[in-house]
Amino acid sequence: MLKNAFLTLLSLAIAIGGGGGSVWYALKAQDGVGAIRIGQWTAFPEIGTQAADPYSKARVAREGVLALGRAEGLSFIAERDAGGDQLRRECAYMIEGRFPTARFWTLYAADQSLGVVDTDRPRLAALQSYQVLRQPDNSVIITVGNRPAPGNWLLTEGFGRMYFVLTFYDTPIASSTGLSDVTLPRIVKAGCNA
Amino acid sequence: MRKLLHTVLLGLLGAGIVHIVVLMLVPEFSERDAWSRLAMASDLYKMTRLDAEAGGAPVVKSVDPLFYAAACRFDLAEGMVRIKAPGNVPFWSVSVYDRSGHNLYSFNDHSATGGVLDTVVLTPAQMIDVRRELPEELQGAIFVEAPIEEGIFVIRSFVPDDSWKPVVSQFLEQSSCELQDY
Repeated sequence: MLKNAFLTLLSLAIAIGGGGGSVWYALKAQDGVGAIRIGQWTAFPEIGTQAADPYSKARVAREGVLALGRAEGLSFIAERDAGGDQLRRECAYMIEGRFPTARFWTLYAADQSLGVVDTDRPRLAALQSYQVLRQPDNSVIITVGNRPAPGNWLLTEGFGRMYFVLTFYDTPIASSTGLSDVTLPRIVKAGCNA
Repeated sequence: MRKLLHTVLLGLLGAGIVHIVVLMLVPEFSERDAWSRLAMASDLYKMTRLDAEAGGAPVVKSVDPLFYAAACRFDLAEGMVRIKAPGNVPFWSVSVYDRSGHNLYSFNDHSATGGVLDTVVLTPAQMIDVRRELPEELQGAIFVEAPIEEGIFVIRSFVPDDSWKPVVSQFLEQSSCELQDY
């Protein structure tokens, strides 16, 4: 009798604990269904729409996201450099390459919650396309780090994990057909302050 | 021993069912979704700044640091809602969301007449009424048909550099979100 009760309780505990826990874990993972990867950059074009998968819908509800619409823009997030290492705030990086067609784009360094990195200085850890210097072939080279650099400099500060968020506004790539042959800039590690 | 194995298997099956049920219920019962956060910050038909610039923590997550944004909640069951914002800013874009934060419709300043933000959100039934006789003052407005009752309207505006901050702030401060009599 007691043994039966114990077995019932055990199976209930596995069901509720395992079910709830797996949902929690799935919603925490940055990677998800419906992601589009281009180089080191990941985008979720479907997030926040009716067509999104149940995991994205749950994430939107849980985090209170109001996702950009198709006519507004499309965000890409990078969490690793070209060598496959996680991006870190204490490291310096070079972001170089061509950017796809858009009215303008913004690039910022983000912390775990995808808010902009706090630099403790008046300068934001963000750049936008109207203020960058371009190479003769229209590509852009951006130096990321806590030391001022000539050319385009994205300031970062502190320690820990970092993400880059690159958002294109009013862009044809936000429509699903436009994403097929898009190339995005490479992220190369230049060195670390260990 | 076989009984224990049986129990564990049954538990795992149950876990699968619970996983699906919880996943489907999260959007229904979330108290942290955008609507609830906005409801805590302000009333219906009131434009509220979403970025941290206006003081306090940002109301809704993931606003680009080079953007200012404002949102208002509306209920189309009470009537159609008109959103206007005067002034010229480098870029603005707007989105209509339903109660659970799904993006239903979006457009930007290139779609608007003269780049002026003047739009009316209404249900298809209200649209039929309005079409019958379009009031003079709504001639230039962009009509957004949304098959919803409660919803959220968001205006985002680009701040290219510090010198634009007051202009863009003013653009959002002066934006209005009102029930339109018809």
